[in-house]
Amino acid sequence: MATSDDEVHLVVPAMPEYLRLARVTAAGLASRLGFSFDEVEDLRLAIDEMCFGLTGNSGRDGTVAIRYVLGDGSLVVEGEGRFRTDGEVALSELSEVILAALVDEHDLHDGEGGPRFRLVKRRHDASPR
Amino acid sequence: MSRRPPQRKELRAKFAELAETGDPALRDELVEAHLGLARYLARRFANRGEPLDDLVQVASVGLVRAIDRFDPSRDVEFSTYATHTIVGELKRHFRDRGWAIRAPRRMQELYLRLGTVVATLGGQLGRSPAIAELAAEVGVSEEEVLEALEAGQAYRFASLDAPVSAPAAGDGDRDGDTLGARLGAEDPEIEAAEQRAMLSPLLRRLPERERLIVQLRFFDGLTQSEIAARLGISQMHVSRLLARSVARLRSSAGAG
Repeated sequence: MATSDDEVHLVVPAMPEYLRLARVTAAGLASRLGFSFDEVEDLRLAIDEMCFGLTGNSGRDGTVAIRYVLGDGSLVVEGEGRFRTDGEVALSELSEVILAALVDEHDLHDGEGGPRFRLVKRRHDASPR
Repeated sequence: MSRRPPQRKELRAKFAELAETGDPALRDELVEAHLGLARYLARRFANRGEPLDDLVQVASVGLVRAIDRFDPSRDVEFSTYATHTIVGELKRHFRDRGWAIRAPRRMQELYLRLGTVVATLGGQLGRSPAIAELAAEVGVSEEEVLEALEAGQAYRFASLDAPVSAPAAGDGDRDGDTLGARLGAEDPEIEAAEQRAMLSPLLRRLPERERLIVQLRFFDGLTQSEIAARLGISQMHVSRLLARSVARLRSSAGAG
């Protein structure tokens, strides 16, 4: 059983085939936290959407460092792009709508060291855990 | 014929200038000048199950990469270097897809079985079941359930227009139907939802049924299981259609 504030870190090349691992990891951790099937599916889509916002369809030259924080009935996912080339990141209006529907909090912005995202998914469906 | 050498020289000069200045306009010009090569190479990979538009996009990424990395001081023609890079990019694209497509049969079967169990167990519990509950019901580990979900995702991207799953035997789940066929009846709510969806030109590019599901999930805030119940299809089907739609929207946003 996961305890509060456990952390998992993942650093992958900023390419879609590796960012898939970000999704798998999130689903695994959400499952540990007792998230429902609906919620896990939402989270998987949300991670995809965020990674798309960060690297686009075909990836970037560099890595993405992802930090998962397991709370009490919540999962916080923070990502940081460490890219070798410049390029601004932004969520499209549609991505905003999608993410707002999928997770409780979301944010993507350009930071000093590179673009960063953060999303929070809380467990809402009552399930025994 | 006699014009080729000066052109090459000119090209080399431009690359030297780009290496020195990093001028984005010059970079664009070089990309533009070689898009034909990218398209030509993309066409050589057509008819292998990937849309040509996607391949051209992949090839263009390879081209940009080649332009950024080309070293004009080395004794190699840009076209040779770019061809190598672009073909590499295209091959990688297929390799990645291939990896995704080759989900083990056992996982595909588990995925299809989960589709039924999500619905029945969800019905019994009156809520969306937890992954652990699904695993216990089917008699596999949580990891296997998650692996099957991934396999299902690979499967759905690999065969966008194939029938989405086998009809579940014996129970009321008619997943084998096409969603379009099941949406024939008029529903004022659906109509209203559609009108709102028309607000976004991007959404308009989606097939009707996918637009509706996107609308219900992202704009109206229904959960996947609520959508499944409303449309009388399995939740796995909703999940697949949503993921597919979002992928489509991304690629059309990227192209626009």
